[in-house]
Amino acid sequence: MSSLLKTADTPILKKGFIYEMKKHSLLYLMCIPALVLLVMFCYIPFGGIWMAFTDFNVVDGIFGSEFVGLEHFEFFFNSSMGWKVIYNTLFINVFSIILGVIIPVTISIFLYEIGSKKYKSITQSMMFFPYFISWVVVGAILYGFFSSDVGIVNSLLESLGLDPIRWYSEPQYWKWIVIISNIWKWSGYNSIIYMAAMSNFDSSLYEAAKVDGASKFQQIIRLTIPMLKPTIVVLVLLNVGRIFYGDFGMIYGLIGNNPVLIEDVSVIDTYVYQSMRTLGFSYATAVGLFQSVMGLILIIIANRAAKKFNDGEGLF
Amino acid sequence: MIHAQKQPFGDRAVTWVAYIFIGLFALACLYPLLLVVSVSLTAEHEVARNGYSIIPKVFTLDTYRYIFIQSGTSILRSYGVTIFITVFGTIGSLLVTSMMAFALSIKSLKYRNHIAFISNFTIIFSAGLIPWYIVCVNVFGIKNTLGALILPMMFSVWNMFLLRTYFANISASLFEAAEIDGANYFTIYWRIALPLCKTGMLTVGLMYALTYWNDWWHALIFINDKDLYPLQYYLFNILSNVNAISSGRIPTGAAASITLPAETVKMAVTMITIGPIMFLYPFVQKYFVQGVMAGAVKE
Repeated sequence: MSSLLKTADTPILKKGFIYEMKKHSLLYLMCIPALVLLVMFCYIPFGGIWMAFTDFNVVDGIFGSEFVGLEHFEFFFNSSMGWKVIYNTLFINVFSIILGVIIPVTISIFLYEIGSKKYKSITQSMMFFPYFISWVVVGAILYGFFSSDVGIVNSLLESLGLDPIRWYSEPQYWKWIVIISNIWKWSGYNSIIYMAAMSNFDSSLYEAAKVDGASKFQQIIRLTIPMLKPTIVVLVLLNVGRIFYGDFGMIYGLIGNNPVLIEDVSVIDTYVYQSMRTLGFSYATAVGLFQSVMGLILIIIANRAAKKFNDGEGLF
Repeated sequence: MIHAQKQPFGDRAVTWVAYIFIGLFALACLYPLLLVVSVSLTAEHEVARNGYSIIPKVFTLDTYRYIFIQSGTSILRSYGVTIFITVFGTIGSLLVTSMMAFALSIKSLKYRNHIAFISNFTIIFSAGLIPWYIVCVNVFGIKNTLGALILPMMFSVWNMFLLRTYFANISASLFEAAEIDGANYFTIYWRIALPLCKTGMLTVGLMYALTYWNDWWHALIFINDKDLYPLQYYLFNILSNVNAISSGRIPTGAAASITLPAETVKMAVTMITIGPIMFLYPFVQKYFVQGVMAGAVKE
């Protein structure tokens, strides 16, 4: 009996922690720079989460400041601004997800129908370009469109005999301007993902459909879209998992410091940044923590859903 | 013959709709950029009178001359900052990322899944902006340093996993042969894996370079010193002043103290910011397409 245990033990000992560290020491050393960066910028900040439950002041430090429990969270949920930024974040994200599926899928299906290689590659290059420019540059372009005096849109309205609109002081349009800018920037990129999925489709299915007399429209509805469904589901679930995260760069890049517009398009991320200055570090930390926790819960649910849908293949 | 038959009307309609839709969408993506180019090349008085237009009616290079010669060194300095962080950031990122990606691609590495989890976890949960900011400023002291524009972006978990798929495609027998010859893992990485993954390195390197070039957010958070403004943040400052004044809610006294740049200057600065991207785009586009596709297949 004892000899049996011994033989079973030796290989385990041999493959123990120290043995592994010696054997692959160089490989582990090669991971260290990246791990140090992760610890510095992702793991050490976890300690600062404690601020959400205290009244942080610089003198007493993160762990010396007075404990206040859930006070900051109560304040957030009792304030009208709290609900407003949650609503704005969800509104912008939900419509970005919906249009962000419909338009790129349409693009990739139509690109598939285009016979001319030259037309295809030129248009594809044009559609991919917005991905390469920053939100600040998109903001500059938007200004060219919506500026009251020199903008293209007002010139167009005037030439149609309509009254020009002072876009930069009319907040009601801006949620949609933000959503459309977002779709404009990402459609080319997302359509590449769908094109990648389509390049793996079995072409004999289309041959068979043609022989059976299916029209192109029927092939798109009955073959292409059902076969794209797994890709669509994974991308949608990934985005649903991030639905509580707003795009700080997008909002600030497009709106800048405009005090009139910011209230209507402020998302949780920009609200955290603004309230850091006005309502203090602790409160802003609490709002950020609410966002992170909601994000964690949703991504776990989304991952479960993806596994169910894709035979065990999760999102990560 | 099937080819000889004329396609039914429905099919031709689908093709036509495809050509028109794609053409219009592609134009919608290009048009704004042409507008920027055109306005930056138009005389200021013409823009002020007739607004933005896609064709420069009064062509001039004065705006660019003004920016580079008259407006002092600030924009050139910003250009320098952006080039510095893009070059050194990309080199650093590539080293850090590829070393870990290579290590995690070796299947016999026992704790590779643990390390992958440590990396992945940072994607799904974060401490949030404020704790991160306080640690960066109070513990690492990176406020108003070039490090603030490089270090926080130096390692992207997503890019690491993308690069790992490239390393994992190298045949393991090549590594084994080198091991028998007495090469250690670092030599294998440097001499065999990296040269075989040139495309992957180029793809990931370009993705990092684009991130550094386009970053202005870290400057917004960490940089007050005007000498350290990257180009994108320089542009952001011009625009956000214009934006705030257009809202009409800034007190006139405050508005008067801010000098508004001319329309053409705004567009010329925008052009200077995206110029290098536009110039390199035809050559680098295919690597980005490849990167997106490789990432998509992985997911």
